[in-house]
Amino acid sequence: MGWFDRERMDSPLRAMIERKASIAVASVAGCLLAPALLAAIWMAVKPVLQSSPWADLWQDPRTFDALTATLWTSIAASLLAWCSAAYLLRQAFIGGQSGRWLNRLPPLLATPHAAMAIAVTLWIAPTGWLFRLSSPWLTGFDAPPPWATTQDTWGIGLILVLWLKELPFLCWVAATQLHRDDVRRRWHAEYAVALTMGRSPQSAFAEVVWPQLARLMRWPLVAVLAYNMTVVDVALIIGPTAPPTLAVLAWEWLRDADLALNHQGVAAAWLLAALLIAISAVLWATVTRVVTGFPNRQAIGLGWVTLFLVYALAWLALLVGSVSGLWPFPDVWPDHWQANDWLRVTDNLDSVWTTVGLGTLSATLTLLWLVAWLECAPQNWQAVMRPILLAPMVLPPLLWVFGLYQVALWGHWEGAWPGMVVAHAVMAMPYALLALESVYKASDRRLQSVALSLGRHPMTYLLVVKWPLLKRALWSAWAIAFAVSVAQFLPTLYIGAGRFVTVTTEAVAQSAAGQRGLMSAYALLQTVLPLLVFAIAVMMGRPRHFTKDQTWT
Amino acid sequence: MPISRIPKLLFATLALIGCASFAAEVPARDWRTIESKAKGQTVYFNAWAGSEAINAYIQWAATEIQRQYGVTLKHVKISDAAVVVSRVRAEKQAGRDGTAGTVDLIWINGENFAAMKRDGLLGAPFVSGLPNFKWVDTVNKPTTLVDFSVPTDGLESPWGMAQLTFFADVQRLPTPPQDLGAFAALAAKNPGRLSYPRPPDFHGTTFLKQVLLGTAPDPTALTQPATDAVFQTQTKPLWAYLDALHPNLWRNGQQFPNTAAAMTQMMADGELLMSLTFNPNEAANEIAAKRLPRTVKSWQFKDGTIGNTHFVAIPFNAPSRAGAQVVANFFLSPEAQAKKADIKVWGDPTVLAVGRLPADLQRLFKGDPQAGQLVVTAPVLPEPHASWVGLIEKEWIRRYAR
Repeated sequence: MGWFDRERMDSPLRAMIERKASIAVASVAGCLLAPALLAAIWMAVKPVLQSSPWADLWQDPRTFDALTATLWTSIAASLLAWCSAAYLLRQAFIGGQSGRWLNRLPPLLATPHAAMAIAVTLWIAPTGWLFRLSSPWLTGFDAPPPWATTQDTWGIGLILVLWLKELPFLCWVAATQLHRDDVRRRWHAEYAVALTMGRSPQSAFAEVVWPQLARLMRWPLVAVLAYNMTVVDVALIIGPTAPPTLAVLAWEWLRDADLALNHQGVAAAWLLAALLIAISAVLWATVTRVVTGFPNRQAIGLGWVTLFLVYALAWLALLVGSVSGLWPFPDVWPDHWQANDWLRVTDNLDSVWTTVGLGTLSATLTLLWLVAWLECAPQNWQAVMRPILLAPMVLPPLLWVFGLYQVALWGHWEGAWPGMVVAHAVMAMPYALLALESVYKASDRRLQSVALSLGRHPMTYLLVVKWPLLKRALWSAWAIAFAVSVAQFLPTLYIGAGRFVTVTTEAVAQSAAGQRGLMSAYALLQTVLPLLVFAIAVMMGRPRHFTKDQTWT
Repeated sequence: MPISRIPKLLFATLALIGCASFAAEVPARDWRTIESKAKGQTVYFNAWAGSEAINAYIQWAATEIQRQYGVTLKHVKISDAAVVVSRVRAEKQAGRDGTAGTVDLIWINGENFAAMKRDGLLGAPFVSGLPNFKWVDTVNKPTTLVDFSVPTDGLESPWGMAQLTFFADVQRLPTPPQDLGAFAALAAKNPGRLSYPRPPDFHGTTFLKQVLLGTAPDPTALTQPATDAVFQTQTKPLWAYLDALHPNLWRNGQQFPNTAAAMTQMMADGELLMSLTFNPNEAANEIAAKRLPRTVKSWQFKDGTIGNTHFVAIPFNAPSRAGAQVVANFFLSPEAQAKKADIKVWGDPTVLAVGRLPADLQRLFKGDPQAGQLVVTAPVLPEPHASWVGLIEKEWIRRYAR
């Protein structure tokens, strides 16, 4: 849809020119992105066309165990997130508080996975706060217990982090639907009908609202599953190590000095992709039914309060961790407080500026591209392109990044800003698309007719009516793209040829080095930067207020 | 720096008498050319960034190099040199020859150097052309020329010396283990309080090699490229030792810390009894930085610990080759080596023959003894041939990491 297909036109010639112009914009937008994405996928296919990487993968002693660890952690975390999201959404919907809780989600979304993993480690590790708070008076421990509470073989820590992080994401996706006036009004009406027909609130929600909502959330669920199956940074920080998940193994193989091992890594990434498709198909068919059987108590908001409390505790751990010096067990507070790690961060602000620069540029690029595309591309083009645009969200990032890197090598644009911005924009695209698409398409077309019938140019309509009305959605899509960019780990390392240091690469590197202060400081920065941007987005996205005598010409 | 003025004078004299044919035989003139070519270049130095002290030293070097030579040194922070090897190889496969690479200088040694040398990922030899190479102690420090039994052939320039060293808080560990037997006994007495970093982390692999050197029936076989049969016989006692040791390690040897730095943090927290390092002065450095208590002491096994040299090398497609050579030469300067050896800075032992330096430069290397510093130095055991590394790591993973 767009301004070209309006019904009333004052001049057929002008309409034709505009139609051509918009097709041209759409073609440029499509042609720029589609070949790059397809080339990236092809580059990732090439190394696994021979049989040897597959044979190596099959014979590697760790493949099977790693695969088991991957399947267990990813499916468990995805289902936990899905069920608890269903529970929280029901609470919010029935209590009539969907707005109240869902509007407060951005801080949770802004906390990157890696930061959450570090925070959870600071709580549950043998030297973490849980044991410090309970030792020795309760546990009798004078030294940290020799238990594997992080990086445990069962992957409990990993599941916990993924669950905590995916839950707000799923709720937020539901919020993008519930914020649509048309949808919300209809669902509330249908829900009211179910109530008058004698259903309890719970079963009214389960039978009327949830099936419709869940249907819309299946793609995001696939994205969640894909993320859980293929995540590297979180698994490095808190995942099992003997063996690690298959994604981590694939990542180690891709980094090895041995070429055959590199190809084995690509094969492992494709194996993950294939499994993802298979499991997604099963989930796709069954998952909308999951909602019944939850406790029926009407503890309004308790689940929500718990969720926000857990996040607050995570931020507290990061804050204290970042200023802790020598901190022997079982002291609850550090022996020495220090600001050295923060001074080191502020001494060298390059990583912060790189993060902000990459986030701003790639989010802006994403938004410009998306608006051009949604506005100009014909409906059937959009239908074709949609799966390609969403691909970065569901294809394993390893694969994606390997392919993009090969394209970059070929085009000589790795290790430089333009390549980095494009790579981050590609990764942010699907999330921004999800945030914007439905709202953008649902904008009231009658307004367009009114504007045109008043003799205004279609561009004036866009600038004065449509985009200002969509201001909130546009800014929030921009903020989401920024947050996604901040959290990027693999593309930053690969496409950046190691030259781009962001707060995320620093946080992961420092957690590997076990430097508690620095890793906490960077994890906190990882959270604060997107949070600031979300705040800016909320401020900028406020609706306009007109006074009586204000007119637009 | 007086040294850099000599070539300038020489160059001026030669230019005056217009004796161009002479100049080809005088390396000083070549070096002047390199220095002037390097001016304004940016050198991307891919170096392991797991230690703040090292990062700070590289930062200092970057400032000096900018001031003295007009070369911009950028530290590309990496966690494992193998990543850089695979990146340079990917570039070679994509036809990125000439100066179309992304790496100018890499901090490297051992199996990564062997892989780069074997696959032709390094350019022409450059080390003998570095003016400061003449100060390197190639006689008493033979590992400056032979890296894990692989000749360097001028493809990598020595940067520092390393020797496996342990450290612990004497308040919690009054009698440190002096050999492998004592180490295993200590683990048996304190189950769950000892560990080593998970191979293929290089500190972890080094620990394995230390055990290998201490248990192999014929240690001389280790200096030769490994074959299957030799590997089987020489490593059998190694696996037996580990099989017995692991149940007494941290988390029953089911898991291992990611890095030596992680072990040090765990030691400071009280979770482990001791940690290990490749830098004999690391504990002293950490104490100076107030990250470890002053009661931490360093030691080495009394019969010796594994030692080697670490180097910098220039990939074949380095965009700023001249700049990289200037950096390598600066790293070898007495000024830079003395600063690096300073415990308050990094504490990395020098590759130079300090005794051969002029007296005023020798003085740079004298420092007061620091808390935590290694007091008794044990003999250096040479590294096994580079080909052993991959095999040991693979077998370790097969046995213990599944």
